[in-house]
Amino acid sequence: MSFTSKINEWMKEVEERPESAITIVRLVVRRLRELSERNEELLAENIDLQHGTRVEEYQKRIAHLEYQLDMLKRRFGMDPATMANLPAPMDVPSALNLLVYNSLGRIFRIELDAEKKEIGNLTGEMITDHEPPRLLAVSSNENLLLLFTSGRVETCSANDIPMMQLGGTWTWEQAALPSEPHAGEVLACVIPFSRLPLSEFFLQVSRRGFAKKTLTSMSESILENHFLGKGALHKSDQPFDMMLSRKNDVAALVTYEGKVTAFDVEDLSYTTDERIKLSVTDYVIGAFILPPATSILCVTQTGKVIHRESKSIEAAKSSTSKGQSLIPPTRLEQGVRFMGAAAVKDSDQVAILDASGRINLHDVSAMTGNGSVAAEGWILSMGLISPEGGAKRGAS
Amino acid sequence: MSIKVGIDFGTSNSGIAVYDGNHVRLLPVDPKNVLPEVIKTVLYITREYHSYLGQEAVEAYYRDNVNRQRRFVKQWAGEIDFRGADMHYVRDIFVYVDELKPGRLLQYLKSALRKEGYSGTQVFERFYTAGDLAKTYLSLLKRRAEDVLGEPIHAATLGRPVKFSESAKQDQKAEETLRQAAHEAGFKEVDFELEPIAAALYYEQSISKPQNVVIFDFGGGTLDIAIMRLGDSRSRKVYASGGVDIAGSDFDRTIIEKRMLSHFGYGRVKHHPEILEMIHAIPDWMALPELGTPINRNILEKAIHAKIAPVRLKALEELIYNDLAFTFYNRVEAGKIALSKEGATVISLEDKNIALWEMYTRHQFESDIRHYLADVEKVLLDTLAKSGLEPGQIDAVVKTGGSSNIPLFTDMLARIFGTDKVKESNALSSVVGGLAIKAGM
Repeated sequence: MSFTSKINEWMKEVEERPESAITIVRLVVRRLRELSERNEELLAENIDLQHGTRVEEYQKRIAHLEYQLDMLKRRFGMDPATMANLPAPMDVPSALNLLVYNSLGRIFRIELDAEKKEIGNLTGEMITDHEPPRLLAVSSNENLLLLFTSGRVETCSANDIPMMQLGGTWTWEQAALPSEPHAGEVLACVIPFSRLPLSEFFLQVSRRGFAKKTLTSMSESILENHFLGKGALHKSDQPFDMMLSRKNDVAALVTYEGKVTAFDVEDLSYTTDERIKLSVTDYVIGAFILPPATSILCVTQTGKVIHRESKSIEAAKSSTSKGQSLIPPTRLEQGVRFMGAAAVKDSDQVAILDASGRINLHDVSAMTGNGSVAAEGWILSMGLISPEGGAKRGAS
Repeated sequence: MSIKVGIDFGTSNSGIAVYDGNHVRLLPVDPKNVLPEVIKTVLYITREYHSYLGQEAVEAYYRDNVNRQRRFVKQWAGEIDFRGADMHYVRDIFVYVDELKPGRLLQYLKSALRKEGYSGTQVFERFYTAGDLAKTYLSLLKRRAEDVLGEPIHAATLGRPVKFSESAKQDQKAEETLRQAAHEAGFKEVDFELEPIAAALYYEQSISKPQNVVIFDFGGGTLDIAIMRLGDSRSRKVYASGGVDIAGSDFDRTIIEKRMLSHFGYGRVKHHPEILEMIHAIPDWMALPELGTPINRNILEKAIHAKIAPVRLKALEELIYNDLAFTFYNRVEAGKIALSKEGATVISLEDKNIALWEMYTRHQFESDIRHYLADVEKVLLDTLAKSGLEPGQIDAVVKTGGSSNIPLFTDMLARIFGTDKVKESNALSSVVGGLAIKAGM
């Protein structure tokens, strides 16, 4: 129906019931006001884009940060030679801990033991807000950054999270809640961030394969405002993981349907960019920095292990790359999917959580040797245990 | 002590009431609703088979579904037998299922009872018959009413339309299914009363001398008419009753078909049968979410990319894939209700890719539904003829049910019986009130 015929029909209503004229005029005026406000917003945005005001705004901000950095250097008299001569920091004893957290912000901390492979048993609801629990190995002295799906960030210390007994059985009610998610958001990920000064970027990855880098030099304002941003463009998308990276790092993404892609962090712009074109049913299940001497280890829901040398993964330049397939089409058709992936070395271990709630440790060398990992139910999640930064394990 | 209640299991709204011999008490079974005594006939069943009803169901549906993640997996659905002249083979059929779908919202449970050939619906791994759905709803309703009363309820008088269906067999079957559902929900004794007669019993409380009354019960699912002698319980008499399958949900459907489809590409998309099929499914909001498959999304995306009505097809995509169908249907219904009082209203829906705005006047509405007027008038006059009374012998016409407030039908009643005889009863509580009176008799 054309707009003219619609207007004719409105006029007929007025002819039949003149008192309707007031209502019609009121509704039309309200609509005109809405449209004119919207038009003004669009015009203002257009002017911003034409004049490059947005770019200028960011350039000003960068210049200001560079100035602040200069001031700090002068104040502390920092130069490479002085830094090299600084006394080594005191060796603070630390232990390797495993964090198990869910999307509702509940976190368990368990101290790992070199001898014990059975970490414990989770009971109760495994999947919260459609997300399985996640596993993260950190040093007990680590500082943690919590990223929520709204883009909000919070910090806490690993030491502040009460320790659970190794080998025990736990329910989520026992877990610590360092920062409760606000309405409409869930916990997207937890990352260790004591290496912040050695990193150049926060690299965020979304479920639908979008990535965004943010300068760590902005961390002061990020932490002050408790806001980093979602790093996801679409409404149906949400942040999945985040890592600290340096300029020359290569990052890799692994998806549920077995696609893998890698890209140079330096090539990323500061806006949110699509890094892998995913099918409608696919989403990212693993995102990590890919150091040269490592390989990619992926685990399927049934415990099958797929292992690829990192050099076999070519860094994609195009943002529309569909990635390399690690699951053959016939297997994909049979329902084989990845549940977790990480960049590993042979000496590493991997913690695996299965649907029965058991968390066990497995040696990477044994996993790649056997080509599979034993679990009681379907595998829900995996986490890499890579002892670094002087963190020691307790001995039983 | 156990109690007998009256239950109006309506197509759009339900209610439950008790009668103490003097007063009818409507129970506030939906504290979250604007009118706690009225509860939407809506059921939400989660993947874990937790059931919610009324406003709570609507809230749970919105909480779980808006902007949620989707993950489609291919599932074996069955097989098709191909038989040709010289060949025969069997092919597997797969469907895409959203494995993250958190729950299903079910509406028009009562219409399911009277739909011929409707056996039920699959809710995740379980199959629910129309009776199972009614049982789930009634048992939750009973529990809420018991919480309000603080006492167990053992029996109920349930309302039923004059005709569940035109077919006598289907009519009988629908009543039996509802009876069985009520028994399974925990009501030990169950009896039925025609809804217009229940409304008449409620009206009878307000009159002091005997009258010939037409009850015009026009709700969400059916139109029910009863012509009765009221005012004295000894001479109470039903002269005639009748009904037809026309009501509020048909008007909503008509509004969507005539006024809304163009916002989603109707008239602009010509040679794409798959897209046209999606557009024609819009009036059926329960069918719409089922169209949200990856294949359909690809079809829509390709058409948008090829610049075939891109804005409208983007809106269609948003409607299907962002679970907006329920909101959209409610907006249309709200627009229709507003036109009972105003000469014009706006039906609008705004989201990321939808900016639907449609001014809708009473003139437009009346011309859209005018073809129903003749059917309604015919049923009314037929029932009047069956009663053996002339319009002049009728003392009062009592309107009840949401659709009875539509001016087109009020004018029709005034034209036939005279303006001063048309009386308005409480549209949402007269049936349930009357059922409670019947239960207390």
